[in-house]
Amino acid sequence: MTRTTWQRLKADRYGMSGLLIVLFFTVVALSVWIGLLGQGWSEVSGNSWESISATHWFGTNLLGQDILQRTLFGAATAFEIGLIVTGFSILLGTVLGALAGWYSHSWLDEIILWLKGVLDSIPFYLFAAAVAFALQGNRWAMHLAMIITFWTTTARIVRGEVMRIKQREFIEAARAIGLPGITVVFRHVLPNTVHILLVQATIVFVVAIKTEVILSFLGLGIRDGVSWGLMLAESSQEVVAGQFGNFTAASVSLFIMLMGFNLFTDALQDALDTRRIMP
Amino acid sequence: MKKLPFLARKVLYGIPLLLGVTFVSFLLMVYFGPDKTYELLGKNPSAEQISEVRHALGYDRPFLLRYGDYLKELVTLNLGLSDSTGEAVSSILARTLPVSIALVLPGFVIGNILGLALGMLAAWYRGQWLDKLVMSASVVGMSLSFLVIIIILQILLSTPYGFNIFPVRGWQVVDLSSYLYYVTVPTLALLLVTLGYNTRFYRAVMVDEIERDHIRTLQAYGTSPAELLFKNVLKNSLIPVLTRIMFSVPFVIVSGSLLLESYFGIPGIGLVTVNAITSGDQPILKAVVGLTGVLFVLALMINDMLYSVVDPRVVSEQAVSKS
Repeated sequence: MTRTTWQRLKADRYGMSGLLIVLFFTVVALSVWIGLLGQGWSEVSGNSWESISATHWFGTNLLGQDILQRTLFGAATAFEIGLIVTGFSILLGTVLGALAGWYSHSWLDEIILWLKGVLDSIPFYLFAAAVAFALQGNRWAMHLAMIITFWTTTARIVRGEVMRIKQREFIEAARAIGLPGITVVFRHVLPNTVHILLVQATIVFVVAIKTEVILSFLGLGIRDGVSWGLMLAESSQEVVAGQFGNFTAASVSLFIMLMGFNLFTDALQDALDTRRIMP
Repeated sequence: MKKLPFLARKVLYGIPLLLGVTFVSFLLMVYFGPDKTYELLGKNPSAEQISEVRHALGYDRPFLLRYGDYLKELVTLNLGLSDSTGEAVSSILARTLPVSIALVLPGFVIGNILGLALGMLAAWYRGQWLDKLVMSASVVGMSLSFLVIIIILQILLSTPYGFNIFPVRGWQVVDLSSYLYYVTVPTLALLLVTLGYNTRFYRAVMVDEIERDHIRTLQAYGTSPAELLFKNVLKNSLIPVLTRIMFSVPFVIVSGSLLLESYFGIPGIGLVTVNAITSGDQPILKAVVGLTGVLFVLALMINDMLYSVVDPRVVSEQAVSKS
């Protein structure tokens, strides 16, 4: 990210509030990981359905567990899923997209495009179900399904970008002095796609967190621990009976976090795009 | 003359995709899927009994032959019997598919039309307050989870805590009024969850088109905005619009119905699939996954053919680049 990008980003009020929200949840997730917050998410600390009080800020759930503790722990779960899925799928998409773009119209490109076409053709939730089915209850089945399918968008974008960049003169110069293809790709082509990858990463992060909610509801998601998706799945039975504690805590936190990421992504996109004529 | 080889080439390109999609579902659902041998055997089976059952299930057949069997099942729609009910999978699908289509079609159609309209409006007034309003609303929509939208609508419309005018769950459709009674809440949910994405996509497409020089020229000639938008902008951006609609058909029908039907207890293909996931009903799952994949590739091929109808240059450009 260059200095001008940062200047432009700083001028965007919505983008900065998005960034603040993201930072807030990052701090919460880190605190859970190092053991400062949310450690009592599974212990029964009160009666069933206690209302809001000084000891239970968000009340308790059916089993008497503290909803605030579970919500805080859920933030860490969301970050864990987001980081793992984003990291691996962006990495995979970048490598495969760069190879396809650099060796475009070769057999390697054809194979990567074919693989992408195949994975894009299977509806995601069915694919996740199939992976869960094949791995028979493995706790990483959900992460794996997301990584295997989410890289394709990144690969498509990187492929197009690499095909565009490799026409440029500085690439021709790098090849003319005799650098091997791989070196040129990783040292000279890919660094020029970092801004696109950054935007793509924030998008994948949001999609991963939203997907976890649906998968957890369908029984294909998180198996140990607690997530906002599991809290919402529980609450779908409870709201009809008038218990809104779980639902409010999970849905509001989820909304604020996703909103933060979406606002930040939009602002980042605007700040990085020099040609864009936007408000 | 040129059209036939173009179409033939499109069909030819579809074949590796079809093979890939069916192969992935075969690999995951059949080859690595759960071993049913011991479910069918009594206690303390002998080695002979085991090999007998494995033979009956086809587990001892070579890999490629088993894949061939799976392909044959998909082509002939002879998909075997459900593990949990014993009903033929093809008749289950034939019974539940119309329910799913009836469930998601209104939301899908309205979502696209409304998204297109809002996208056009925002693109036309880009940078002004109307555009900002539409875009902010779409960010809010994108930040809401599908599940959260469903639960909020249910609280608002189907419980005593809200208006309580629609059913909490179920699907007893006999006539139009009962259809509307049961379909409204799921339709609203589908609408809200897709509208944000649709609007943003269509706005981006329209902005690209509106900024072209010929549009400015027409504007200078005094063409009315409505005529300009519908006759020039919309017509010229038909390709990305059609692509998006075609691409989302299998996804919305399957993925949308998966969540809506399991939430509202509607007996469509989604509920059947979710039940098959929880009970490990392999014949249903491998049929649903394989068939949707095939359906998607077919939609892709039809989409490419529609391109050549909408924009004749597609055919000639490809013919030129090939020669």
